[in-house]
Amino acid sequence: MALTGIDEGKLKKAFLEDADELAQKLNQSLLLLENEPDNRDLVNEIFRFLHSLKSESALLNFNVFSELAHKMEDVFDRVREGELTLEKPVLDLIFTGSDLIADMLTAIARVSSDAGFDTSSVVGGLSQYAASMAPAPVAGAGRALPSEKTADEERPWSDAEKRQLFEARDRREGFFRLTIAIDESEVMKFPRAYLVFTNLEASTNIVRTIPSMTEVADDASYAKTVIFLTAKEEETRIKAMAEVDQISSMELDHLGYAEILSPSRTSVEGGKEEKKTYAEPRKGLQEKTTIRVDTKKLDDLWSLIAELIQQKSHISRIYERLSRVDERGAVREELGESFDSLDKLSTNMQQVMMETRMIPISVIFNKLPRLVRDLSRKLGKSIELAVSGEDTEIDRGIVEALSDPLTHIIRNSIDHGIESPADRDNLGKPEKGRVRVSAYQQGRGIVIELEDDGTGIDPEKLREKAVAMGIEGASELDEAGLLDLVFLPGFSTASEVTDISGRGVGLDVVATKIKGDLKGHVTLNSVPGEGTLITLVLPLTLTIINALLVRADRLVYAIPLSGVDSTGKVLNTEIRGDDGHRTCTWMDEEIPLFYVGALQGKKLPRSDEYYAAILSYGMDRACLIVDELMEEQEIVVKPIDDLLNSMKRFAGISVLEDGTPVYILDTSFVQEGIL
Amino acid sequence: MGARILIADDLSFMRMIQKEILGERGYVVAGEASDGIQAVEKYKSLRPDLVVLDITMPNMNGLEAMRKIFEFDPKARIIMCSALGQQNLIVDAIKAGVKDFIVKPFKPERILSAIEKALRS
Repeated sequence: MALTGIDEGKLKKAFLEDADELAQKLNQSLLLLENEPDNRDLVNEIFRFLHSLKSESALLNFNVFSELAHKMEDVFDRVREGELTLEKPVLDLIFTGSDLIADMLTAIARVSSDAGFDTSSVVGGLSQYAASMAPAPVAGAGRALPSEKTADEERPWSDAEKRQLFEARDRREGFFRLTIAIDESEVMKFPRAYLVFTNLEASTNIVRTIPSMTEVADDASYAKTVIFLTAKEEETRIKAMAEVDQISSMELDHLGYAEILSPSRTSVEGGKEEKKTYAEPRKGLQEKTTIRVDTKKLDDLWSLIAELIQQKSHISRIYERLSRVDERGAVREELGESFDSLDKLSTNMQQVMMETRMIPISVIFNKLPRLVRDLSRKLGKSIELAVSGEDTEIDRGIVEALSDPLTHIIRNSIDHGIESPADRDNLGKPEKGRVRVSAYQQGRGIVIELEDDGTGIDPEKLREKAVAMGIEGASELDEAGLLDLVFLPGFSTASEVTDISGRGVGLDVVATKIKGDLKGHVTLNSVPGEGTLITLVLPLTLTIINALLVRADRLVYAIPLSGVDSTGKVLNTEIRGDDGHRTCTWMDEEIPLFYVGALQGKKLPRSDEYYAAILSYGMDRACLIVDELMEEQEIVVKPIDDLLNSMKRFAGISVLEDGTPVYILDTSFVQEGIL
Repeated sequence: MGARILIADDLSFMRMIQKEILGERGYVVAGEASDGIQAVEKYKSLRPDLVVLDITMPNMNGLEAMRKIFEFDPKARIIMCSALGQQNLIVDAIKAGVKDFIVKPFKPERILSAIEKALRS
């Protein structure tokens, strides 16, 4: 890049933020356009997305990128003018171009370069197509956007001007338009305007003047002079600076950067079904007020709030201790009130902060239509995708970890679940297969359902396979147990290998991610011949959890409450087996029994009765003997060093307000049956 | 006491008119100069609140005098006085930092309001 004296990193970041959003919207709109080729609003919108992508990338000298976007923009410009119609081969080229744009953005984010991408087939193809159609339009130089008037004032912002604006926005300056009228009696209007310009230039940044101050126009044309500037100063200060003699009127308008730096920042909200989005486009439009905040800053704030919550617990404890001494009633009451306020305050802060971490799940869902389109084409299947609940908010920290499993499940559905149109016809099903994806919040969790109306899974086939694989106890499993088998590593039911889902890396990867990284649950329901429903339940956030504190010897462990069924006492006489293979009876069921002290290499001490917590993980239960059941508490999960966690038994670490370290137990051991 | 003003113009007639106008408004004409060299010298010795500096003057023109004055006192308040057709010179003066300019022939209220605004800044 050849820009000098500018923080390139910042510019690149700003560009990527804008461009990623534009690229995603471009893709969405293209998908919609495929179904509604005559929708002029869509064509205009796509044109604008491409136009912005082209201009912004050119500004940073991503020339390969910019050329591609330009070529695509040209096509849509001519479609708008009615000179071209979008036929399937062109649309396919455009889709390929849209993919290339996304790939290049990834490359730019990583290596700051778009070099090495071969766009020639798309660019060449589009040129060829354009040449084969209708007469060429008048050379592009003076072409303006539809919304842009030909007036000088409305001429598009040049790259240099945009660069100035980019920087000013980063410096948090205001953006203003100052319009001055010079008194008729002034015989030197240009010098008069120039005086105002000079006064302003001393402490503001002037982006553009109309007429120009450098290429001097006819003196009379400066009678009305417009100055676009950015400044930290208050409006009154700016006016005072511009205030010189012989100015008959002055007007200062505060402008927004958004429409200039990204003319397409209008997010489409609402609309449950993808098709509806454009059926009533403007009504559903609801612009959200957003600001961009460095996630690092949010994380810092988050840590502060976490400490605040810890202190809250501390005060609560002091209060309890005070309560035991009667004569301190007054202090106690005051402390109690103060604690109540702190409690409310911190709860509210936590809530608000939590919300800043939340983003709509649409960031993942938006990619699904394209996935379904591509896969169904590739496999010759006809599939309708219904998405709902895309406004459901999820912690931004889990977006990445969630994206792959969802994609995987959908691939599975389309590849193995949905039958070919011919088969479906024979089965008396509608030719078009249906995949439904929905999300909603339930209590303190997020539920995501992925359903297809495909072939379903036959539990008995699973049993056959499990027996063949030599899985212990497979012949006795009930239906739910059998369906759970699909989450086992290496257990794939596809009878043939396809390049879509592959073999062996099936739902076990999904289960590992959901249960491990995301601390969630995954269940599968299926009716053979009718379809499959996979349900994911994820915790709202991963950083603050309610936990049960327990003690073993001198160490304190925390068990996430989501994994605790109940607590109670177990009599020695109810325990069978010996070290490593103990069991006890719980609700008429024989479940494994562990001693938490085993984590420190201790053996179960001899006693007539023990305190115990019954833990659950998915469908599995286990009994955990502890030396002391302490209390329930909100704790802040911090990552644990690998050295301390060589056995992968801990999900993290936390520190109590008195400084005691707490190891947070990863309850997945319940399923594995080893502690 | 009104602000102290230095008038620099090679034409005594022009100085006289200005003196008249300014005096009527209560300004004090601290001194008069008939060329650029004098203007600079008198600025240094009199330290006026404002200078009205004609562009076209013998020995040292108004622009050069302006530069010398700014060298001596970057905060000097200077109003350039020019004739029609001297636009480029005026623009140069503005770039150098003059507060305002007036164009001959001017009406009394024009020079008064220019001085008033310049003194306020």
